[in-house]
Amino acid sequence: MAEAFLQISEPGASPTKRACQTRAIGIDLGTTNSLVAIVDGGRPVCLRDDRDQAILPSVVHYAADGTIVVGAEAHDRLAVEFPRSTIASVKRFMGRGPGDAEATRKLTPYQFAPPAGDGGNVVRFDVGAGRAVTPMEVSAEILKALKARAEAELGAPLDGAVITVPAYFDDGQRQATRDAGRLAGLEVLRLINEPTAAAIAYGLDKQAEGTFAVFDLGGGTFDISILKLEDGVFEVKATGGDSALGGDDFDRAIAGALLEKWNLTDVAAGDARLVRRVLDAARAIKEKLTVEAAATIEIVLPDGNRTAQLTRTEMELLIEPVLMRCTAPVRRALKDAAIDLARNPQAGSEPPAMGSVERSPPAPDANSAALSGVILVGGATRMPLVRQFVEKLFGRPPLGDIDPDEVVALGAAVQADVLAGGTGQGDMLLLDVVPLSLGLETMGGVVEKIIHRNTTVPCGATQTFTTFADKQTGFDLKVVQGERELADQCRSLAQFTLKGIPPMAAGMARLEVTFMVDADGILRVSAREETTGQEAKIEVKPSYGLTDEEVERMLLDSFAHAEEDVQIRLLTEQQVEADRIAAAARTAMADSPELLTPEDRTAIDAALTALATARGGKDHHAIRAAVEALDQASKEFAARRMNVAFDRGLRGKDVAAVEAKADETAPKRDLASRAGGHSGHSH
Amino acid sequence: MICWSCEKEGGKGPFCAACKAILPPDTGPLGAGPGPQGSAPGTDRFAVLGLPRKFEVDLAAAEAAYKDLSRQLHPDRFAKADPRARKAALARTVEINDAWRTVKDPVRRAEYLLELAGYALGGGEKSAEMSKTRKVSAPPTFLVEILELRDELAAAQKAGDAVKVAFMTEDVRGRAAEAMKTIGTSIDGATPESFDVAARALMSLRYYQRFLDEVSAHEERALSGGDRG
Repeated sequence: MAEAFLQISEPGASPTKRACQTRAIGIDLGTTNSLVAIVDGGRPVCLRDDRDQAILPSVVHYAADGTIVVGAEAHDRLAVEFPRSTIASVKRFMGRGPGDAEATRKLTPYQFAPPAGDGGNVVRFDVGAGRAVTPMEVSAEILKALKARAEAELGAPLDGAVITVPAYFDDGQRQATRDAGRLAGLEVLRLINEPTAAAIAYGLDKQAEGTFAVFDLGGGTFDISILKLEDGVFEVKATGGDSALGGDDFDRAIAGALLEKWNLTDVAAGDARLVRRVLDAARAIKEKLTVEAAATIEIVLPDGNRTAQLTRTEMELLIEPVLMRCTAPVRRALKDAAIDLARNPQAGSEPPAMGSVERSPPAPDANSAALSGVILVGGATRMPLVRQFVEKLFGRPPLGDIDPDEVVALGAAVQADVLAGGTGQGDMLLLDVVPLSLGLETMGGVVEKIIHRNTTVPCGATQTFTTFADKQTGFDLKVVQGERELADQCRSLAQFTLKGIPPMAAGMARLEVTFMVDADGILRVSAREETTGQEAKIEVKPSYGLTDEEVERMLLDSFAHAEEDVQIRLLTEQQVEADRIAAAARTAMADSPELLTPEDRTAIDAALTALATARGGKDHHAIRAAVEALDQASKEFAARRMNVAFDRGLRGKDVAAVEAKADETAPKRDLASRAGGHSGHSH
Repeated sequence: MICWSCEKEGGKGPFCAACKAILPPDTGPLGAGPGPQGSAPGTDRFAVLGLPRKFEVDLAAAEAAYKDLSRQLHPDRFAKADPRARKAALARTVEINDAWRTVKDPVRRAEYLLELAGYALGGGEKSAEMSKTRKVSAPPTFLVEILELRDELAAAQKAGDAVKVAFMTEDVRGRAAEAMKTIGTSIDGATPESFDVAARALMSLRYYQRFLDEVSAHEERALSGGDRG
């Protein structure tokens, strides 16, 4: 085996180009773009594709022949050509039902499949050729692409992944993200909140301590989190947001105005290609106006070209109403976290943007804290208007030294490394919260909150309910999430029925319901009847999600393509192996030219050339054969190198120390195993 | 408790006395989250954090204890461990999070102490009500006063009289602070009389709190209306 080269690299040096303690990855599964990062040599880094791009556009194209294209090609070319079968911004649809206006009634180029028998409560995109896919399956394709990138980089199967979600994602949206991870064949170690991930990356990088606000305005979601950073503990004090508010909405506002100007609003309703083009143009204008004061863009439309011309001021008027929707969540989060902006030492003499009532003497239990800084995350925060808005809202300019695109993936990688057993971050600990209150619908449609928003996870609570009718033998319970008082104004998460209660007078049967929220922020509900001690069976059906059976079936379906996948996987593995071995051989030749005979050099060079040719092909057997040929050609050189290294190792030891320990068994065993290791690898 | 890992007696602590494996708590749902009635003696929410069962708390020390326990017991520490260890870590962390949530907030802390002393306070855990014997009720004069305050507030809000709303809010905050002070000075007396004083103060505090909640709710409605302030 050519492994011999790897075995004698210097102590502490890594045989691969990566110095990773674990093979756990962090994934930022974004609305517009997705990224994957790992911790390498104690620092998180984003992994890049062969075009040196860290960003993978979150766009998936389903071709008529069944192939699936993910990323830049799907975004740049296919989305315009095949708007219906190329899904962008799929994150907006995660955990949503087909009747969900937020997801399906907005300006969109997609066609939705009619609800099917099972899984009928999940949105499905009709991508043509009789194929309908759920948002989880689409997201899984993005995750698979990132997983493949990481595997190629690390050259081995992964230890698991941390996937980020908007802090304001509800339970259904979290379940959907977890399911997407399973469908992609990832071991999802944890879901963590995007602003929390950003705070981890920022806090560790800058060694920051204090209370920070993370303002995260992405493509489709808005989050605000207030965190306290102290002694390696990242404690979320409060979080808020809007899981359907982001840069996409700016695009839509601009596109809507353009369509109106051209009298095309009605035409667009039935023309997916037109919608896609105008949305793309709107995005291009928005990006241009981030740096310039005016922009002109030509749009090719079926009835002739149009010129879209907009100044920054005009655009800002269009998007300001959307941006204003960030105000209430920010104020609520500041209040929940007991942040007093007036106490902000850096704030100027200008009074903060708070009502006078807010500044009246603090409540008896107020334990208010000052804010140390505002961290911006998400591509939309590059816009000057957004920065001005944040500055006005918080009474201070945001911190400027953070890459708003990469910071979430970097933080996720750190947490993945910690979870997989990496020790680089010492005692780092993350304490996150439930973003939205969880409760049950009771009589009259009123919500009884069982777990309140901003409670630290994991958490649990038990509440007892009684029957309201005589001889009632069952309970129908509806689990809801949200802050409103009435159940139909909150998100319905699940319905379940508890049966088999013996008939009793009203109020006598006592139902004990337990809510448990785990560290992913995912809820589990159980219930039992107290007086009889009877554990009645409960079925929890997610209102907008996949059941375990549905996930299993989708996984089975994906095995239909398994043969093809295996071939690709074998090829990738052999390519990775080829790169690793070739690099090791080159390093060894450069390190020890004195041990290399001219014949060796010729033979190894020839084998390397043959390997490079095989590596470029699609036959994994050929690559394997070329690796073995290189192995054969370098056999003697490797053996010489090993002998020298072995001698040097022995000479390096202090003779007296070796003798002193000669009687102890441990060093002997150690030496023996080391020698065994060597002989085992030298053919 | 018999340890799931080494099958020896592991003791009551979070880690097995014999093999150091993490053990679940022995009370509550999933073995977690002890309510006052379900918990074994000595394992109340104060004890979980190693604190005496008292209203007066050194919050800095309590927070340090909470974070120290979190570092040892959090599910993140057991992400790749045996499923039984993961479950135990989850249950332990639910327990300490619940304990810290109760202890850090003076109102919740007072409520919990009074519940442990046998008071039915309502609003808290409903299952507790049946077993509670002691009750305190608000004097009618107090209730009338509160009703008048609420009416006055509603009128001021309707009229958009921000100065009056601010003035009233400040007044009620003062009363709430007074009630909190009363709770603080009486509850650790731990006699039936001192508990009664504390329970009455807590009850009035709740009415004041509801008044203040109404003020915030009104502000929030104004906020959501798109007012940029």
